[in-house]
Amino acid sequence: MKILIAISSKAYSGETLSVGMKIGKAFNASTTIVDVGEKINQFSMKEVDMVQERMDSWDIDRPGVDVLEWAFEYLAEKKLIKTNTIEAGFPKNTLVETGGGRSEVFLEGTFCEDLNLILRNGDIVEELKNEVQSHGYDVTIIGGSGKRRMSHDLTQYINSSIFVVNNYKSNQTYRLLLAVDNSVGTKKAVKYGIRIAQALDIEVDVITVSKTDEFKDDYKNAADWASKFLRRSNINHKNIFLNGNPSELIAREAGDNHIIVMGSSNKNPLKTFFQGNKPLKVLENSQCPILIVK
Amino acid sequence: MLAFSNNSLANYLFWVSRKKWLIITFFISVVLFYLPTPEGLSSEGHRTLIIVITTLILIISESIPLPAVAILILIMEVTLGVDSPDGVAASFMSDAVFFIMGSLMLAVSIVHQGLDKRLALAIINITGNKTLNITFGFVTVSALMSSFIGEHTVAAMMLPVVLALIKNAGLDTTKATKLSTLLLFSIAYGCALGSIGTPSGGGRNVIMIGYLSEFGLGDISYLEWMKYAYPMLLIEIPVAVAVLWFTFTPKQKSLDTAIRKLKVNVAKSGKLSGNQLMAILVFILVFLGWVFLSPFIGLGIVALTGVFFYLTFGLIEWPDIARRTNWGVILLFGSAISLGIQMKETGAALYVAENALYSLQHIFKNIEMVRWFFTVILTAILTNLLSSAATVSVFGPIVLDMGGNPIALGIATSVASAFSYLTIVASPTCMIIHSTGLVSSNDYFKAGWKLFIISIILLFLVSFFYWPMLS
Repeated sequence: MKILIAISSKAYSGETLSVGMKIGKAFNASTTIVDVGEKINQFSMKEVDMVQERMDSWDIDRPGVDVLEWAFEYLAEKKLIKTNTIEAGFPKNTLVETGGGRSEVFLEGTFCEDLNLILRNGDIVEELKNEVQSHGYDVTIIGGSGKRRMSHDLTQYINSSIFVVNNYKSNQTYRLLLAVDNSVGTKKAVKYGIRIAQALDIEVDVITVSKTDEFKDDYKNAADWASKFLRRSNINHKNIFLNGNPSELIAREAGDNHIIVMGSSNKNPLKTFFQGNKPLKVLENSQCPILIVK
Repeated sequence: MLAFSNNSLANYLFWVSRKKWLIITFFISVVLFYLPTPEGLSSEGHRTLIIVITTLILIISESIPLPAVAILILIMEVTLGVDSPDGVAASFMSDAVFFIMGSLMLAVSIVHQGLDKRLALAIINITGNKTLNITFGFVTVSALMSSFIGEHTVAAMMLPVVLALIKNAGLDTTKATKLSTLLLFSIAYGCALGSIGTPSGGGRNVIMIGYLSEFGLGDISYLEWMKYAYPMLLIEIPVAVAVLWFTFTPKQKSLDTAIRKLKVNVAKSGKLSGNQLMAILVFILVFLGWVFLSPFIGLGIVALTGVFFYLTFGLIEWPDIARRTNWGVILLFGSAISLGIQMKETGAALYVAENALYSLQHIFKNIEMVRWFFTVILTAILTNLLSSAATVSVFGPIVLDMGGNPIALGIATSVASAFSYLTIVASPTCMIIHSTGLVSSNDYFKAGWKLFIISIILLFLVSFFYWPMLS
C-alpha cells in the first residue's frame, strides 16, 4: 500500500500530516509527503531555476525545503523514522532532483521501509495527479483547502482514493460515518473505514440512505455486510437508515464531528463531468473530513 | 468503434478542464474567421488580427506551453494565407531575436561566474549599515546594472544577496517581514526601471529599434537611446526608493550585525578569480561593441560575440547554457516579431491604430495627447498582464502606425513596457522575488500602483518637455 500526503506549511498542514501519518501507520503503508510549491510563470522558469542554484551556493534554502524540514522534525518527534536517520538530521543535501522539477529525500521509516519527502512545483491538481499516476499511490491525503474547487477537482480526477482532511481538530472526539449502498466501491470503503476506525480508535455509524421510501435488498445487504465486518473487528457501531437525498443527508448526519468514509461513484465520467456525483456532492456539502475510496 | 475505459475518459475530461481556454480560443477564432472582413481591412489583415487575439488569450491564460504558442503563430500565419512559408521563416529571425537569444545566454554565463558575492561586498562597502541607504544602494545598483546587462541577470545575482542579508539579520527567510518585502522590491523595481536605460536593458527595446528600422521610420543608436531614456531612469531611482520606503517601512533602521556577518561570509570566497576577471572583461567588450559597433553589425551579433568568447575561453560549458537558456521564450519572441511584421505588412496595425484613434478623437480633441495616452497606458497595462517583450512585439507595429513622431512614440512604448510593477507575471524579475515565497500578489499592488502612476507622469513630462529638445 502506498500513501501520499500533500502538505503546504507548518501553519496550515499540521492536522493533515498528523492524520495522514496515523493512517499510514495503520496500513503499514509506504508513505510519501509532498509539498507542491507555487506555479512559476513560463516566461520566468529558467531564471527562477538559475536564482535557486545561486541560493544553494549562499547556503540559503530554496522555498519548500523549510516545509520538508518541518515534516522531518514531526516524523522525528513521533519516532516514525529510524534513530540513525533522526540523529543525522534533515538531509537537505540529499534532496535529489528526479526530473520534471521533482526533488526527493529518501528516509527510513519505523513502520515502513520507504518514507520519502518530495518537492514539486506547479499547479497543485496537475502535480498531484501526475505524482499519483507515475508512482501508483493508493490513497492521497490532502488538507481541506479554502479553495473548494481544488478538492473537488482532485476528487474527480485523481486516480487513487482521496482523503480530504477538512476542518479536522485533533482535540475533538470523532465518530466515523460509513456510508454504504449498492455501489461496487462500498466493500472496499468498509475495509478502509475499519482500518481507520482502529487507527484513530473511534466508533462507527453505518449510514444507508435510500432515495425512495423503501430500502431495496441490495442496500439492506450492504448495511448487514458492513455490520458483520465491524462486529468481527470488535468495533462499536450503530446503523442509521434514512430516506431522502443521500448527499444532503450524509453531510447533515456527519455534521462537524464525523469522518465520512464512502465508496467512489461508478457513474460514467462524462456524466460526472456535467452533473457531478454523490461523493462530490457530499464533499461540497460537508464540513468534516471525508475519505472517498476508489 | 472507439472505446474508452472510464479511466482514459476521466483523463481526457481532465485535459478538457485544464485546457478550457484553448478550446474557447479555438471557437473564438473560428467565429472571427467566418465574420465578414471589416471595411478598410484586407482579408490578410483580418486573419492576422485573428492570430493576434488567439496569441494574446493563450499567453495570458497559459493554457498551453509558450513554445506551443510560438509554433501555433507560425502555423496559423502560413495556413491562414497571411504569408508564404519562406516569408514567415524570414520574418521569424531577426537581429532582435539574435539579441534576445544572446542576452539570455550572456545572463547564464555571467550569473555562472558567482560574481554576486563580490557585488554584495561592493554595495555594502558603499552603503554602510543604515537600512535606508542599503535600500537606496540596492535600487541604484540594480537599476544601473540592469540598464546594461538586462534585468533578469541582475535580479539573479542580487536575490541571494538580499536573502543572505535577511538571514544574517536574524530573520526567518521563509517568513515575510516589512524588511524582506522592502529589500526584495528594491531589486525588482530597481531592475524594472533600469531596463529602460539602454537598448541592452531589455529585449523589448531592441524589438522596438528593429521595428523602427524595418519599417523605415528611423535608425536609433545605442547612445541615442540612452540620451532619450537614461535621464528618466536617474529620476526614477530616488522616486522608487521613497515609494518603497514609505510603503514598507521596516522596524530595523540599521542592519549592523547583518552587514558584519555578510562581510565575513563574502570574505570567505577569497580574491577575484582569473575567470571572474575575464568574465567582467568580456562583458565590458560586449558593452563597447553595443555602443560603437552595433550600428554596423547589430546588437544581436554583438551579444552573440560575447557568448562566443565566454564559450571559447572556457568561462562556461555549453551544457550549462543549453540547460539554463529559456529557448521557449526565444521561439515565442521570434514568432511574436514575425506576427508584428505581418501586422504591418497586411495593414492590420494601421487599421487598429486608425480605429482606436478615431474613436478616442471624439472624446479628446488633442490628437497628440490622445496618441500618447492611448499608447503609454495600454502598453503599461498590457505589460502587467502579458510580458513586456510580448507587449512591444504585438503592440509596437500599431503604435508606429499611429502617426506623429515614431521614434518618440516608439521609445515611450518601450519605456512604458517597463512599468511592470503590479503583478507577479509582469516580468521575470517580479516572478523571481515572488518565488522566494516572501512576497504576495497584494504586495505588488501596495507599492506598485504608486510607482505606476508616478512613472506615467514622469514619462509624460520627459516626453513633452525633454525629448523635443533632443530633436
